[in-house]
Amino acid sequence: MSSHAYVAEIATDRDGNEHVVQGWQDDMYGAKLGFWLFMFTEVLMFGAMFMTLTYYMMLHEADFVHASASLNRYLGGFNTVVLLISALTMGLGLLKMRHGDIKGAKTMIWATIVLAFLFLGVKGVEWSLEYSHGVFLGLDALQPGNEHSKPFGQILFFGMYFTMTGIHGVHILGGIGIMLWLLKRINSGKVTPEHHILHFNIALYWDLVHLIWVFVFPFYYMMGAGTEMDTATLSSTIEAISHLGGSNEHH
Amino acid sequence: MSTTNLGSYKEAQSGYIKILVGLLVLTTVTFVQPHMFLTDMNLGIQLFIGVVKAYLILAYYMHLKGETQIIWFAGFSLFIVAVFFIIVIGFDVANFQYMDESHITQHMDAPHASHATH
Repeated sequence: MSSHAYVAEIATDRDGNEHVVQGWQDDMYGAKLGFWLFMFTEVLMFGAMFMTLTYYMMLHEADFVHASASLNRYLGGFNTVVLLISALTMGLGLLKMRHGDIKGAKTMIWATIVLAFLFLGVKGVEWSLEYSHGVFLGLDALQPGNEHSKPFGQILFFGMYFTMTGIHGVHILGGIGIMLWLLKRINSGKVTPEHHILHFNIALYWDLVHLIWVFVFPFYYMMGAGTEMDTATLSSTIEAISHLGGSNEHH
Repeated sequence: MSTTNLGSYKEAQSGYIKILVGLLVLTTVTFVQPHMFLTDMNLGIQLFIGVVKAYLILAYYMHLKGETQIIWFAGFSLFIVAVFFIIVIGFDVANFQYMDESHITQHMDAPHASHATH
C-alpha cells in the first residue's frame, strides 16, 4: 500500500459504536469549496483592477478608445481562441481522468500546456511589437513630461494594459507549473480516477485564467474597434511581424 | 452534487464540445460587431457578450450549475468589492473640486479629443 493511500479514521462514541470519520482525501466538496475561496481572492484582485479601469475609462474615454485602437486585436483574438481551446482540452482531460482513462487525461494536460506556451509566445510577440513602437513600461512615451509623452489617458491605459496582461501572463506561467506538477502526481499514482480532487481544482484554476481573459479582451482590445483610428490594423500587423526581428528602434 | 455525478462519457464530451462551439461563435460575434451592428454601443455590447461567455464557462466548464452555495459566495465577494469601490470612489468623485488641476481629458465629441492632454 502506498503512503498516500486513504485509510478511514474510526471514531468511537460513548456507547462504543464505531463511525467512519470523513477524511479530506474523499472530501470532494470541501476541497472544491476551499479552492473556490482561493479563487475569490483572484476575483477580488482582478475585479478591483477592472473597476479601476472602468473608472479611468469614464474620465479619459477618447484617449482609451485611441489607445485601444492601436493594440493588435488580431493577435489578441488569436490568443482568445487559443485559451478557449485550452479550456476544452483541460476539461476533457478531467473527464477522461474521472472515467478511468489516465493516459488520455495526461495527453489532454500536455495539450493544454502546449497551448499555454503558445499563448505566452503570441503575447511575447505582441509585447515585442509594442516595444518596437516605443510603447512599453518605462519608455518615454509612457512617462509624462517629455516630448514623446502620450496623452495622460493613454499613459493610464497602457500602464493598466501591461500590468493586467502581465499579471494574467504570470497566472498562465503558474498554470503551466501546476499542470506539470499534476502530471508528476499522476505518474506517481497520487492522482487517480478515484482521487482526482487535485486535477479538478487545477482545471478550475485554468478556467478562471480563461474567464479573466474573457473580460481582458473586450476591455483592452475591442474598445477602439470600428473607429476611424482602427484602420489598416491587419496590414500593419503583417508588416510589423515581418520586420519584428530586425527592429530595435524606439520612436 | 453535480461534480460527483459522472454520467455518460460521450454525453459529457458532447456537452464540452457544444460549449466550445458556442464560445467560438460568440468570439466571432465579438470581432464582427464593431463593424456591423450597434456600433454606437460598442463596449456595452462587447461586455454583454463577455458576460454570456462567462456564464457558459462558469456554469458548464467550472461546474457551477446547481452549486447554489458557491454561487452565493461568489456573488457576495463581488458585492463586497463593489460596495468598497463605490464608497471610496464615490466619495472622491463627490468631492472633486479642482477640475483645472485634473488630468481629465476631453469628451469624445470634442475636436482633436484623442490628442487632448492637460
